[in-house]
Amino acid sequence: MNKRQVVLESISALLIMLFLYASISKFLDFNRFIGEMNNQPFPNSWTPFLVWTVPSLEIAISLALIFERTRMVGFIASLILMTLFTIYTAAILLHFFAYVPCSCGGVIRKLSWPQHLVFNLFFVALSVMGIILQRRSFFKSIIITKNSFV
Amino acid sequence: MKKIKLIIMTLAIAFSIGGAFATAPRQSQDCQAATQYYYNGNYVLAGRLGIDYICVTPSSAVCTYYKVGSTYTPCMWGNYCTSNCRTSTPAPKKAKN
Repeated sequence: MNKRQVVLESISALLIMLFLYASISKFLDFNRFIGEMNNQPFPNSWTPFLVWTVPSLEIAISLALIFERTRMVGFIASLILMTLFTIYTAAILLHFFAYVPCSCGGVIRKLSWPQHLVFNLFFVALSVMGIILQRRSFFKSIIITKNSFV
Repeated sequence: MKKIKLIIMTLAIAFSIGGAFATAPRQSQDCQAATQYYYNGNYVLAGRLGIDYICVTPSSAVCTYYKVGSTYTPCMWGNYCTSNCRTSTPAPKKAKN
């Protein structure tokens, strides 16, 4: 296992830990998660959709990151989701919404909004690094597959 | 090579599942699972978070309390708000020409 692969495995492991921890924490305390979602500054009619979609997506991304064949998709989905979270956090900090909700409520919930922003940016950077490193082995596998058909 | 990968992935999954269970609030320790009150001179039932009220930050005020025995103990922080909730310190907006 070369250095690049070790880094790639470590990045995947960190992202898996983030998404799996976050999703299981939400399901373990589902009623509180619903309350917190209602506390966010978007319509409460979105809550039934978001409370199932967000943790389900997090579990799906974790699963995609575990397997070599789906890892690239996992990194891209991770980048999209973390970028959306980062934009939302930045919008809250810039007072884009009428009010700033409490970041109340696992361990991640105890972070303040500026801490959340730094935390999210770190995982956005990890996802970008993962895509760059994975791209090489991804294209390599495509070339090998193509050649095997020639 | 595959052995190292397997160890890393197993540890990541074990830590995340174990961590989630370890940090999940026990029913008895989770103040948000208890009935919430707010203080307006008297302690009044707060209702449901996000539906009847929200806690707005930044604020060092206590938003809601919960009862431990006969004592009201702070649970959530922020300003208790039921309608027209706006942040106390809005960002300055650029003037339109």
